[in-house]
Amino acid sequence: MDSAQRQALAERVLALSSADQTEVTVSRENAELTRFTHQDIHQNVSRTDVGVSVRAIVGQRTGAAGTNLLDDKSLQATVARAIEMAKLAPEDPGIAPLPAGGPASAPPGAYVRATADASPELRAQMCDAIFKVAEKDRFWCAGFVRTQSSGYTVANSAGARASFDGTDSGVNVKMNAADSTGYGQWYVNDVSQLDAHGIAEVAAAKARNSADPRGVDPGDWTVIMEPAAFGEFFAYLGQHFSAQSFDEGSSFLSDGLDKRYFGENVTIVDDYANPLAPSMPFDFEGQPKQRVTLVEDGVAKTVVTDSYWGKKLGRENTGHALPAPNAYGPQAIDLAISPGSKSLEQLISETKRGLLISRFWYIRTVDQKKAIVTGMTRDGTFLIENGKVGHGVRNMRFNQSILGALSECEFSNQPKRTGDYWFSLVVPAAKIAKFSFTSGTQF
Amino acid sequence: MAFDELAGRALDTAVKQGAEYADVRFELVRSERIETRNAVVATLADATSCGYGMRALVRGAWGFAASSDLTPEGMDRTAARAVEMAKAAAIIARTPLGASPPRSYVDTFVTPMERDPVDVSLGERVALLLEAEKALHVAPEVRVGRAWIDLWRTDKTFFSTIGSRIEQSIRQTGGGIEALAVGEGDVQTRTFPGDIGLYKSGGWEIIEEAALAQNAQRIGEEAVALLSAPQCPSGTRDIILGGSQVSLQIHESCGHPAELDRVMGWEANFSGVSFLELSQLDTLRYGSDIVTIRIDNTLPQGMATVGYDDEGTKSGVSDIIRNGLLVGYEMSNDTARAIGRESNACVRAHSWEFVPMIRMCNLNLLPGNVPFDGLFEDVRDGIYMESNRSWSIDDHRLNFQFGCEIGWEIKDGKRGRMLKNPTYAGMTPQFWNSCDAIADESSWIAWGTPNCGKGEPMQTGRTAQCASPARFRNVQVGVGYGG
Repeated sequence: MDSAQRQALAERVLALSSADQTEVTVSRENAELTRFTHQDIHQNVSRTDVGVSVRAIVGQRTGAAGTNLLDDKSLQATVARAIEMAKLAPEDPGIAPLPAGGPASAPPGAYVRATADASPELRAQMCDAIFKVAEKDRFWCAGFVRTQSSGYTVANSAGARASFDGTDSGVNVKMNAADSTGYGQWYVNDVSQLDAHGIAEVAAAKARNSADPRGVDPGDWTVIMEPAAFGEFFAYLGQHFSAQSFDEGSSFLSDGLDKRYFGENVTIVDDYANPLAPSMPFDFEGQPKQRVTLVEDGVAKTVVTDSYWGKKLGRENTGHALPAPNAYGPQAIDLAISPGSKSLEQLISETKRGLLISRFWYIRTVDQKKAIVTGMTRDGTFLIENGKVGHGVRNMRFNQSILGALSECEFSNQPKRTGDYWFSLVVPAAKIAKFSFTSGTQF
Repeated sequence: MAFDELAGRALDTAVKQGAEYADVRFELVRSERIETRNAVVATLADATSCGYGMRALVRGAWGFAASSDLTPEGMDRTAARAVEMAKAAAIIARTPLGASPPRSYVDTFVTPMERDPVDVSLGERVALLLEAEKALHVAPEVRVGRAWIDLWRTDKTFFSTIGSRIEQSIRQTGGGIEALAVGEGDVQTRTFPGDIGLYKSGGWEIIEEAALAQNAQRIGEEAVALLSAPQCPSGTRDIILGGSQVSLQIHESCGHPAELDRVMGWEANFSGVSFLELSQLDTLRYGSDIVTIRIDNTLPQGMATVGYDDEGTKSGVSDIIRNGLLVGYEMSNDTARAIGRESNACVRAHSWEFVPMIRMCNLNLLPGNVPFDGLFEDVRDGIYMESNRSWSIDDHRLNFQFGCEIGWEIKDGKRGRMLKNPTYAGMTPQFWNSCDAIADESSWIAWGTPNCGKGEPMQTGRTAQCASPARFRNVQVGVGYGG
């Protein structure tokens, strides 16, 4: 369903509502993913769906309903259900009027037809290129190649009209050797930019070079995290920038804005138009997204809001609403850390003794307010000695405050889009002066 | 809705396009969530989703396509896409992985329930949550109170080219409360029941059993008390885990590593592999003699209880760990065939949109013979911990670190002062081998996990790990805070 069809559907549903205020969203998704293991495709999946959601506001009461049944009767029933639920909800004196929206243009490169049209054969060819790299080294590989296209349209009774189509693609490869593994990833809106063979070579080199890994003692280490690892670590700071957690006291920022929490080289922005991850230029309420500098030179500057939290805190609506209704509040979902001036190789060469980390796994928050997280290294951890990357190291568990890590750090000059999350992250490699490992594992 | 005609068309189309076997699963899913937060209804939502997922097998390679387009032409397109996906996989296949299931069934299944939630008015549901949530606010330190109910109704029908027609009406219900207390530089949470609420298959009786309003004041008070409680010490202690924490321990350190797809490397790039390698089957001493962990997908009120899994295999009972020994895995048709066994019906898809994959379903630690209070009796220096707060385990499922919301010191067999930020860590087999007592059936609860993530694209599974509290000796505690 293209943008014009979604807008027409949204108008049709909007016209069905007798609520004081109504918001209609229409979303479509066409997603395909080819997953492999041991040089065979074991999952090759495709899904397509179109859904309609209705948020009805009656006085100070809100209800919501959704459906993917698009016949007139089902749509009428969905609108009626949203209104019925609103009438049963208690009044919320903090409720904000729906935003009127405004101009919001898709950033260049957000939608690429080649990605939307990618075939199962194209993905299979990319998998085959990965398989051949694995077979050359007598490794086995596991991973995926995915392509997807999605569209989102918002129309509300306050006049907001917004529509966006975007694409995304990714390659994820883990190479498995006898006693070591290696990892590579690449995520980009344009499938033609994906170099599956190149990513497979990166993963294979890590598996090769980390063979026969040795144990090292837990404790405080200087670490250099490649972007995939640093993104996984940094992601756990994202929710702290929400106006909701800021106000309710669960964010480290609840101790106050305009304070220094990080080293002077740390600048964090939320930017939907980042060229490495161009995304939707408005939020899920149809409000244009602002580029927000959250942390500048180590000093926290602000938090992100939506219509509800903007009104509640007397702040401007920055356009960071999630789909309504939700209990999470506004979120910064296009986060980026400003890069440094040195290359990754230079950061390594300046390290007397440390660890190079390719990837983390299963990071979880241990202490919310202090932003302490725990997790494991995986798929390529190496000892750095006298500026050179040495032998592989068996995996270790860390317990570390993100705030502490970013108080003394350096960044590489090559940011990358990382992870495969529902939100977007663009980060460089990071050298952390002191990073606390608490135990090791057997591999 | 009856889908027979559409199913017949889709399966015919798949066969004409070259499928050697095909199945199609229609689902009509209704999800309702109500969440109150600080005296307002933060979420009052009702979603309907209807569609179908189709698997096609070509030369031993699977393709899967899902769509909400229920027109005859839409069925044709989706069936053709499923076959096209299978053919693309077959072109570069090194080894045929898939085969037609060995058996077909024509049957129905309906989740037993005492009271259908639709008979409870929306107003009554909202009122219950507002009452419970209000009771959490025992002091100004409780900055956030939350209460929630989830109701899921799934009507699904499975058809296959070997003659299966399985119609199932599955009802799952859950709810909980949470208090977040904020003090000087500290945030503490308490949740009830367990750490995510009480989730089971069944109807409104699950919400009544959860007794949210009756426990809200205590939960609020505990959250506030934690702000001034001493820190959990670091060192080695005997620990007793509450039932919901034992449930999580089963989930993470037995349920996931015993998934045979993971053991075979099918999840390697994402959620990892497993230390429960095939060479360990029938030889690995996973836990102590009292540890028996059993799949029972027929268990009344089990969150994952169904008549048939999403490959059309009939639910049953089988052991993963028997008296401490590794004796089985959670299996699908293809993975079971690879090791010379038959599937034990552990395959689920989150919804029609997703390909079915191995899930842990209902995985239960059989109760012991000690009353709950008896667990404390011969603990000289230990800690009792309840309600998970953080969980992390390595990608072979060996090195784990879990944190709980609340703990209590145990001295000379008695529960003493409250402790904040309790954590414990270990290696899976050593930990389960240190289990020397499990509480009896009177405290055995079918703890459901409604949010288990696995697979790519990520699917959210609804599993259960029935458990009672248990005792473990000489465990590392106080990790992550440095004392």
